[in-house]
Amino acid sequence: MSTVNCGRWFARLAVTSFLAWLAGCAQFVPQTIDLRADWPAGVPRAAELAGVPYFPQTQFDCGPAALATIMQSAGASISVDQLVQEVYLPARQGSLQVEMLVAPRRHGLVGWQLPRTYSGLLEEVANGRPVLVLQNLGLWPIDQWHYAVVVGFDYERGELYLRSGTTQRLVLPFTIFEVTWRRSGYWAMVASRPESIPATASATTYRPALLAFGRVAAPARTQAAWRAYLARWPGDALASIALSNLQYQERALGEAEAVLRSSYQRNPESVEVLNNLSQILSELGRDEEALELIDRAMQLKGPFQNEVAATRSGIRKRLGR
Amino acid sequence: MQSTFMRTLCRILIPALLSLSFQSAHAGIIGTDNAAAVSTVQSDRAVVMDALSRTDVSSQLQALGLDPSVARERVNAMTDEEVHTLASDIAAAPAGANVGWGAIVLIGLLVWFFFYRR
Repeated sequence: MSTVNCGRWFARLAVTSFLAWLAGCAQFVPQTIDLRADWPAGVPRAAELAGVPYFPQTQFDCGPAALATIMQSAGASISVDQLVQEVYLPARQGSLQVEMLVAPRRHGLVGWQLPRTYSGLLEEVANGRPVLVLQNLGLWPIDQWHYAVVVGFDYERGELYLRSGTTQRLVLPFTIFEVTWRRSGYWAMVASRPESIPATASATTYRPALLAFGRVAAPARTQAAWRAYLARWPGDALASIALSNLQYQERALGEAEAVLRSSYQRNPESVEVLNNLSQILSELGRDEEALELIDRAMQLKGPFQNEVAATRSGIRKRLGR
Repeated sequence: MQSTFMRTLCRILIPALLSLSFQSAHAGIIGTDNAAAVSTVQSDRAVVMDALSRTDVSSQLQALGLDPSVARERVNAMTDEEVHTLASDIAAAPAGANVGWGAIVLIGLLVWFFFYRR
């Protein structure tokens, strides 16, 4: 991965596309070819998010400018200058991908990397979410990395619409865009409010993003995020642990109990759920009930044996045994 | 000077972290990070190494022109995994310099534009 520094992107783009054209398109644009036969279900043929703000970049700050575009459109009030402080590296004259994914969480938004597919990109845009993409506009062996934001497409015309550099509405053919995007390994991200999960997210890919979000976000927003997660993937044991732990910290024991109860019904074998549920029941003064559950956790061989044993002895002590 | 500083820092950091890793947030409750970790118990060594790579990455960011406080905030917002990614990204070769020889080939773009658009 390289730093992205967005200089004379248009010239580079021209060279790249010319070479791609020379070599014939099939091996350069595999996903565009796939779209011809296999258009993603439920996605309209055209969509454009005209309301997405636009921040013209200065020399090297396409990273902060693109990030401000998607974050403002998700409702954060944030300026490009502020984001320069958070993602720009002066000596590298650019921004690194990992920092781009981290920055939204410092402002109450979840940054999430999309699956590396054209169809996923189109689906998010069609669902009203502008998508930040990393393109390489350079010509081998020179790299010219550039961040831009896809805000729309019209498949019948073969066009994608982007907020890019100093162009408010850049029109690129599907093919040329893929040539440049493919070289970043189809890297794309979105920033979303915690209560609204991207359409193309899956339980396993979105979970790490939320765990990372919880590191820095306000507890209330993290709770909202896990609640949305559980609404979409109700069987997830870890999400129930995360949500109930936040409620436990606020001493909302009744709510935490309810979350873990419904998780227990779906995950009867989860030692963590059983352990935390027992502890909470015990703190609610229902030690008999708690002991029954913790005994079940003792029988399940698995991780957290020490924690379970500690919880059990605590409960037994309170029962005077 | 730097190595003296680092040594002092480590002397303070290591015991502090070791004591930290033994305290769970609340007795009886299994923490979210613990439940999320693939290996159930993170070794003390790993905890120390992660903390050290945080300070290391933070000083690398400072060397690239960031204020110490800005660098620290940026690293603090990251997960351990992201810190490791950043460490390897910083070390990666820099992006090439600009060469402006593309305008001539604009014709190529136009030809493409009219023939293959999707």
